[in-house]
Amino acid sequence: MPTALITGASRGLGLGLAEVLVADHWLVHACCRNPEAADRLKMLKTESEGRLIVHTLDVLDHSSIEALANSLVGQPIDALLNVAGYYGTPGLTEPGGLQEFGNQDFDDWIKIYRTNVIGPMKMCEVFIENVAASERRIMISLSSEIGSIAENDFGKMYAYRASKAALNAIMKSMSVDLSQKGVVAVPLHPGWVRTDMGGPEAPCDVQTSVAGMKKVIDEISLKHSGKFMVYNGSELSW
Amino acid sequence: MPNVLITGANRGLGLGLTQLYLADGWQVRACCRFPAEALELQELLEGSEDRLSIHLLDLENLKTVEAIKDTIGDDPIDVLLNVAGYYGPIVVSDPGGLQVFGTTDYDVFEKTFRVNVIGPMKMCETFVENVAFSDHKKMITISSIAGSIGENKSGKLYPYRASKVALNAIMKSMSIELKNREIIAAPLHPGWVRTDMGGPLADIDADTSVAGIKSVIDGMTMAHSGRYLVYDGSELPW
Repeated sequence: MPTALITGASRGLGLGLAEVLVADHWLVHACCRNPEAADRLKMLKTESEGRLIVHTLDVLDHSSIEALANSLVGQPIDALLNVAGYYGTPGLTEPGGLQEFGNQDFDDWIKIYRTNVIGPMKMCEVFIENVAASERRIMISLSSEIGSIAENDFGKMYAYRASKAALNAIMKSMSVDLSQKGVVAVPLHPGWVRTDMGGPEAPCDVQTSVAGMKKVIDEISLKHSGKFMVYNGSELSW
Repeated sequence: MPNVLITGANRGLGLGLTQLYLADGWQVRACCRFPAEALELQELLEGSEDRLSIHLLDLENLKTVEAIKDTIGDDPIDVLLNVAGYYGPIVVSDPGGLQVFGTTDYDVFEKTFRVNVIGPMKMCETFVENVAFSDHKKMITISSIAGSIGENKSGKLYPYRASKVALNAIMKSMSIELKNREIIAAPLHPGWVRTDMGGPLADIDADTSVAGIKSVIDGMTMAHSGRYLVYDGSELPW
């Protein structure tokens, strides 16, 4: 039975990935900041025949990452899925949410960078031995097309773009450094999805996105490592 | 008489660029963290025919950016040149300086982001009106080939790569958002230079780099905005 560890699993894409992986008979370590309030995750747990384990994890709190790692020492993790992410406040679809030039909140920049870049880096460093000891050896961080510098023809979104481009940079470096361990490391664009972050106007629903990402997870191999993958199997330029 | 504002002007590329612009008859606002200790910069005051002023600037303290803005007021700035940067406490050429996977110092990771990304963003936001009122209208930030994801074949350098890719992302966004104000915004790779940061084994000397940088900036038009230029006139992939 393959094993996944998912951050940000209480809602949106993280929850959707937990659902499809449990349904496909994976063992899923589902991590979120406040499991007590994660009603849908609790419901999934009751239906999972023991294949879903819920953990408290805040990617901003590195001691919580280390505590989880200590509890999972020696357990292989086939797919480490960094899903937890933060757009910024206000959100993308809220008034003032486009992070336009001249309107930056630099305290929020730090929170965005800690969540979207430093958090995944810490996760990958802490769980590398679990991943290396598994059969599939996959480390995926959910990125965004917004992090593609080449595809940027719209401007704005400075803090979010900076964080996702930086995330792409570290996943690429990992793909180089970890290839001799047989570890596949990629950033993955989930599409623009109707989640709390993506907003109601987004073109893609959660089911389509997670079904596509599940297929990417199933089919990914070392030849994909270090590429900017998309949920539908295509590839983005940096 | 055109004028340039240079950050990190007390040593390395910033000092070299200050010398070069002065020699070409420009007015230079040279910024650094410790003006009283910047002896080489002070030596340039004599002979500068009042074309050089020295300003205190610490990119980890954004109030110092606003203090310079208060001093300059609405005066035009032809070229805003963000040179100040941070690699980490151990330079790339020293033992332990390669920022290998598994050894990440997260305080360094965050400081690198503050200095290399938030700092230039704050500078560009604060001085955009001064640049917009000038003849040349250029905002250039010194990046690095380490910030090219496409060129990353050696991995490592996680905090530094992440910061320079993030920097490239924001300069690209500015090039789009400020196009209608005819402002040229771009990241520029200075080469791997024998400075305190680059170390003694680097490819080129500071004189070669700064001569190339100034030549590239002198020749830049709107057609170059949002591109990842190199000191020798070539271009890098993102």
